[in-house]
Amino acid sequence: MAEITLQTISKSFGATRAVADLDLTVHDGEFVVLLGPTGAGKTTTLRLIAGLEKPEAGRVFIDGMDVTETPTSARNVAFVFQQYSLYPHYSVFENLAFPLKAPGQTLSTEEIKARVREIAELLRIDHKLENRATALSGGEMQRVAIGRALVRNPTVFLMDEPLSSLDAKLREDLRVELKRIQRDLGATIVYVTHDQLEAMTLADRIGVLNQGELVQIGDPREVYETPNSVYVAQRLGSPQINLLAVGMLELPLVPPSATTLGVRPEDIVLDQSGGGVAKVLNVEHLGVETVILLELAGQHLHALLGDAASLEEGAEISIGVREGAALFFDTNGKRVDPVKASAREEAVYGT
Amino acid sequence: MTDQSSDSSADGLTGQVAQNVAKATPAAVVRKVRGLSDRAIAWLFISPTIFLLLAINIFPLIWTVYLSFTNYRANRPGRPIEWVGTRNYERLLGNEDIWGYLQATAHFVVWTMIIQVIIGLGLALLINRNFKGASFWTTVILIPMMLSPAVVGTFWTYLYQPQTGIFSYIINLFVSVGPIDMIGSVDLAPWSIIIVDTWMWTPYIMLLCLAGLRSIPDYLYEAAEIDRANAWQKFWYITLPRIMPFLMLAVLFRGIENFKMFDMVVELTSGGPGSTTEVASINLKREAFEKWRTGYSSAFAVILFVTVFGLGNIYVKALNKVKQ
Repeated sequence: MAEITLQTISKSFGATRAVADLDLTVHDGEFVVLLGPTGAGKTTTLRLIAGLEKPEAGRVFIDGMDVTETPTSARNVAFVFQQYSLYPHYSVFENLAFPLKAPGQTLSTEEIKARVREIAELLRIDHKLENRATALSGGEMQRVAIGRALVRNPTVFLMDEPLSSLDAKLREDLRVELKRIQRDLGATIVYVTHDQLEAMTLADRIGVLNQGELVQIGDPREVYETPNSVYVAQRLGSPQINLLAVGMLELPLVPPSATTLGVRPEDIVLDQSGGGVAKVLNVEHLGVETVILLELAGQHLHALLGDAASLEEGAEISIGVREGAALFFDTNGKRVDPVKASAREEAVYGT
Repeated sequence: MTDQSSDSSADGLTGQVAQNVAKATPAAVVRKVRGLSDRAIAWLFISPTIFLLLAINIFPLIWTVYLSFTNYRANRPGRPIEWVGTRNYERLLGNEDIWGYLQATAHFVVWTMIIQVIIGLGLALLINRNFKGASFWTTVILIPMMLSPAVVGTFWTYLYQPQTGIFSYIINLFVSVGPIDMIGSVDLAPWSIIIVDTWMWTPYIMLLCLAGLRSIPDYLYEAAEIDRANAWQKFWYITLPRIMPFLMLAVLFRGIENFKMFDMVVELTSGGPGSTTEVASINLKREAFEKWRTGYSSAFAVILFVTVFGLGNIYVKALNKVKQ
């Protein structure tokens, strides 16, 4: 297992800059998730690490070695593609055994069999070993693809939206499985997704990408609670963060440069005098929690409430923001810290 | 689906009106209003094709089968046609020369296919590397295919000239064996046809292989690269299985064509020397239009047809197996 370092790396396709001066270090045994919408440069970053793309500028290091000029096959990385990149004319067993038969591998037939079986059991596809790769369901195919990455001991695992084409149940199962495998093996994984739930649950650290730039990286909680920009705030959380003009809700500690107020749906609280009065448009009971669509001065807000409050559609309610949970952003979309309580007191006493 | 459902809900009222009108109208009028049924229109569209198919394929085939059981001679139209039963077939299958002609045909078909598949696939792999000028070279390689087989046969007889031909000259640059008589020699004559056919039709195999190669997604090769596969493994695990259906189709088309190869062979060797290159189609033409044994040659044609048809069917079954 190893550490990956990208040093001011850049890659363009024609006029589009896919990755721009990106710096990233993934520590040994760390699970880093790269998050961003389509075209943010996530996949390109991954392909640069694998050597499937050559960078125009910058260096790639794996395990302290400069591998920028090293071909993919010599980097000893495993890659799980978004498409099930199985060898269609061969059985599941042959697909899984393929990486073990590469030149330079010296396993005996018996050892290969044992290893493949072990991985197949881990991924619960051992009963399908004799099936042809094309005769599997989508979920099984992707598990074989993941198995092909696991079957040898690569230095790093690179995964490009491996779960995106699976159904919800399977996605959840494999997500748990992946995290467990990573803990057991102490594997270094770089994982690309646009699904914030996957990012939050899998990552040791989340890196948020925007137009080829790494805009923020940190542990999931940190990125969620203190996003450095509106862009990052919008990438995490479901329903999305509510963005309001400052002043729409009565709040303390508003910094003078703030123009936008960000409130997570779960940070909206009811029956607090002083915030604002909103109209209930829709109530969705999801079991554990309730999603409420509100209208405040012509703007829609989502609120997430734990106790399924007996709210009627059309009712007028008074809302506020949980103390200390409001996020403030300036005109450039950058987050600004709230005014410190002591500073506020001074201001109050000043007037 | 969604369009339909939204339409039906929007047209609910009109539909209702239409139904009421239909109920009140006599059946004959309804038929007139509707005009031709879908089925009738379908038949109308395919009838020209069906007519042509019957006229120039099916009827001659049935007529040939009929003639093969008679002693009919096309050069004596007045003579009454006599039914001779299976006599033509018995004579054919008992004739050792016929087996010789079929052997010559098989030799030609098998060797042209083997050589053309190897060279065609090789060329396709080279062209597929997308080097500079690849499309120019593709066009150059395709030129022989665009020529008429009769023309090709004729000018190759000049190239094959033992004294003045360039073929003999080039071979002698590498090994000095003196003038080579490709067409006149019993051993070399079959190969003279194979070489010309290969020169002319390898581009066709290449073209179909190229189509197959272009259809292989890059990510399969990338996955193999990740798995540290070498070039040979990539070819064996990805390229070959993926282009196999294309390759087999090319062989099917070319195999059938070569089974009935006629024009080029006539121009090159006319079946000689002796009968070393007398492929089935040449013998058939001799029997039918030189000796005018129409019944007998019809029987031969039926045997050839059944052979090609049978082999073709077995082959298509194999092809379908490979495809899945």
